[in-house]
Amino acid sequence: MKTVIKTTNLSKVYKDSVVPVHALKNVNLEFSQGEFTAIVGPSGSGKTTFLNIIGGLDKPTDGHVIIDGVDIATMKESQLFDFRLRHIGFVFQAYNLIPVLTALENVSFIMLLQKQSKQEMEKRARAMLEQVGLGDKINERPGRLSGGQQQRVAVARALASKPDFVLADEPTANLDTESAFNLLDIMARLNKEENITLIFSTHDQRVIERARRVITLVDGAVDKDEYFERA
Amino acid sequence: MKSLLILAWRNLWRNKRRSLITMSSVMFAVFLAILFFSMEQGTYERMIDSLVRYSTGYIQIQDVMYDEEPSMDHSMLLDNHVWSAIEKEAGLIDYTVPRIEHFALASSGSISRGGFIMGVDPDAELKLNDLPDRMLFGEFVVQDDPDIVVAEGLADLLRVEPGDSIVLLSQGYQGVTAAGIYRIKGIIGHSIPELNNSVIYMAMGTAQWFFGADHRVTSLIVMPHDPGQTNRIAQDIGAQLDQEWYQVLTWEDMLADLITLMQFDMAGTMVLLAILYIVIAFGLFGTILTMLMERKKEFGMLLALGMKRMQLSLICFAETLLISLAGAMAGILLAIPVIAYFYYFPIELSGNLAEALIDYGFEPILPFSTDPGVFISQARVILIISLGIGLYPIYSIFRLDMMKARQ
Repeated sequence: MKTVIKTTNLSKVYKDSVVPVHALKNVNLEFSQGEFTAIVGPSGSGKTTFLNIIGGLDKPTDGHVIIDGVDIATMKESQLFDFRLRHIGFVFQAYNLIPVLTALENVSFIMLLQKQSKQEMEKRARAMLEQVGLGDKINERPGRLSGGQQQRVAVARALASKPDFVLADEPTANLDTESAFNLLDIMARLNKEENITLIFSTHDQRVIERARRVITLVDGAVDKDEYFERA
Repeated sequence: MKSLLILAWRNLWRNKRRSLITMSSVMFAVFLAILFFSMEQGTYERMIDSLVRYSTGYIQIQDVMYDEEPSMDHSMLLDNHVWSAIEKEAGLIDYTVPRIEHFALASSGSISRGGFIMGVDPDAELKLNDLPDRMLFGEFVVQDDPDIVVAEGLADLLRVEPGDSIVLLSQGYQGVTAAGIYRIKGIIGHSIPELNNSVIYMAMGTAQWFFGADHRVTSLIVMPHDPGQTNRIAQDIGAQLDQEWYQVLTWEDMLADLITLMQFDMAGTMVLLAILYIVIAFGLFGTILTMLMERKKEFGMLLALGMKRMQLSLICFAETLLISLAGAMAGILLAIPVIAYFYYFPIELSGNLAEALIDYGFEPILPFSTDPGVFISQARVILIISLGIGLYPIYSIFRLDMMKARQ
């Protein structure tokens, strides 16, 4: 299967505090097209740092992140903005949606930044909202949606622009069990249907149980990298 | 760009109350500023208009020495040189008004007062102003009228009324003694106290005979179709005339002292308005600062999603412009009916304030100006303030640490 992301000797040291913090230590990983991966580990293990670096949000202290044959660790900020816009979908734990836009407009937002045509944008956004079960909420603003519904809109937005892969940082952390399962079902289905690579950081057991690959980070290093057969 | 502007507009209404309070503060500042400015400008416009129509006109052609030493010896012949210069600008000139003016001593019985004789062409003068309508008693002079019209204030000082006669004594052309006794056929009222206390109107021919200055005038007033073309026409006429003998003055040249006084007076208003706008600017800045602080995490999210810093800056910049311009627009809309009312019904002053204004040569009323410049100038000030404040979000977003903002 095609390798989407490859990290080589990825390290990150935060020097802001008195004692330097080694958030990542020589992480070497590869992610293939269509994988459903959970990055797990205790707080401070480097999950979010890893996602931030492979998502082009942060720079590594050392090592390389090769995406589609390009080392994004060497890119300038302006290039990274464009790269993220065109290649990566994001689902964050909170502060995910733009409160003044409707669900449809939120889902269209990335495509708007990509300067897609209005018709194409709206068609795709409507289809994605249908897929996440919010076809009847397209004109609702986030304030009128539940936490679970908001995360579903965020998932629809992340997938609408057809990115190479989607990074989700603890997407179920603020959700109740039912909403979390609902969201995971949707993501698992979209992962299969759209063959999009999904990488989660989580310590939510519900997510881990759905993932076909689970990478455990401990103190910034890969402790385990396990594959599971899921239905 | 349209979508970004829509986003900016919607962002303004996240906190409706705060946005409305900010807009209201801008609105009241603009409203008050327009009111102040309109009142000040209205007063000046009224005064300039009165002086232009009753005294100076927009352009005057004079003997080159007349402005420095206004005597009959520095009057001029209205000859072909002058008329051919006027003819070349005929398309831009509405009409001309000849005048022969000089000071004279006016006496009635044992009372003598300084007067100012204005020899006028009644038909031409009628185009320039509404002198016949200002007659309080009797009628205005007609062509070759042997009688005179005296301003109300001067008539009071001399204790004369229509039908009485006064003696006029002055110095005419080339040193001749100008003296005569003239019957008063009417009393005229002037809103400008300086004129009201001194002017004596005579028909042109009568005045030329009185001063011994046949076919001579002290000035030829030139009225343009468009007052905005005054300087251009004055320059063109000046270029046609022999500058050794003639000079062409605009109303700004002739009323230079008054304009300086107005500018000095206006400076006081400007200081007041500056204070008002500084307070508003800080209020606006406070709102923008709060909006930025509240949305730091959201900005981090938007940048992470791939929105460029420039796009995000433009949204915030547009928000600053929209909030202030919406307030400014509301202020202008609020001011329009108020100013329109006071334009047609100016506030009449009374008491000491009115007397003080009369002493300074002002009419004791507060007329308002409807000049679009009054409104545009205030909108421009708000635009400049908001452009300045709008730079802060841009600076702030370009310095924003995306990672820290999202924490």
